[in-house]
Amino acid sequence: MYGKGLKPLSIATVVAFAVGFSLVFFYAPLDADQGFIQKIFYLHVPLASTALIGFVVGGIFAILHLRTDNNKWDAYSYVAIHISVIFGVGVLITGAIWAKASWGHWWVWDEPTLVSFLIVFLLYCTYYPFRYAIEDRDRQARYASVFAVTAGAFVPLNFLAVRMAQQLVHPRVFATSEGGLPGSMLLTFLVCFVAVALLWVTLVKFELTAKSASGQVNRLRRALDAPGPTGSSRIAPEVS
Amino acid sequence: MLAAFLPLGAPALPLDEAGKYVAGAYIVFVLLLVIYVGIMATKLQRIEKELREVASVAEQRAAESQAAPRRGPEGSSISDSLTPQGSRGGGA
Repeated sequence: MYGKGLKPLSIATVVAFAVGFSLVFFYAPLDADQGFIQKIFYLHVPLASTALIGFVVGGIFAILHLRTDNNKWDAYSYVAIHISVIFGVGVLITGAIWAKASWGHWWVWDEPTLVSFLIVFLLYCTYYPFRYAIEDRDRQARYASVFAVTAGAFVPLNFLAVRMAQQLVHPRVFATSEGGLPGSMLLTFLVCFVAVALLWVTLVKFELTAKSASGQVNRLRRALDAPGPTGSSRIAPEVS
Repeated sequence: MLAAFLPLGAPALPLDEAGKYVAGAYIVFVLLLVIYVGIMATKLQRIEKELREVASVAEQRAAESQAAPRRGPEGSSISDSLTPQGSRGGGA
């Protein structure tokens, strides 16, 4: 029953976004340095944080899969990574738009934060062909879990390495010096972060529910000994 | 080199110019969501179609099993008629 609680979760996500975006445009003051363009950060930073946390969560699910050999955890890991990759696309596009407005360039290769996120994103993009390449379901799940654990461990290490890097032209949202965010901006940011995190959970649940429904249909088909569909996916783990 | 195009001390973009970038970023986010929902809707349609097929197979089987006692034991095997080449299907 993956769909249980999906409705209240979806409503909570919509409400959180409505409140968050209202705060962004009607409550949070304009940034003294960047002005109106800083409003992009209320979307870009929560998306980036959630995507990175999602990758780590995918790794934790993969550990559970390797420990218990329960394919449910493999499906959780797959879906967590899948949704985080989608969020990653959003991070890269919104970041590029901000960079163009603020720096005059869509992309800057000298900036560790940008390049490191791109590396993490591309690393997780290889998760799909890695999975596709293995035919046997059990081996596929095991190898994908090992990948998810290794890549998941790389994410916080990468984050720390970038934080400790010397060249930091990329703005810090939670600055440890120079005062950080003022209260109104911090509140707006936190509400937006909660909204994006809720969206991630909702989409993960939504995806799992769809996979579960598909898995149930396949189980029913097998029980009836009926011929299967021609174009069904062999990549995504099945949830029963 | 980087400092050459980093307007750290420069005034912020005017609202009419910054507005289109901010709108662009938020529209991209909404578009991504819409594309995702569209893909999920397609998946849901496929699941519904498969479910309909399975339901029709089950109904056909139920109808044939009701007719089978009247035909006698010589009647054709329903299972054989539904599984060409002995395939179990599934397509997982």
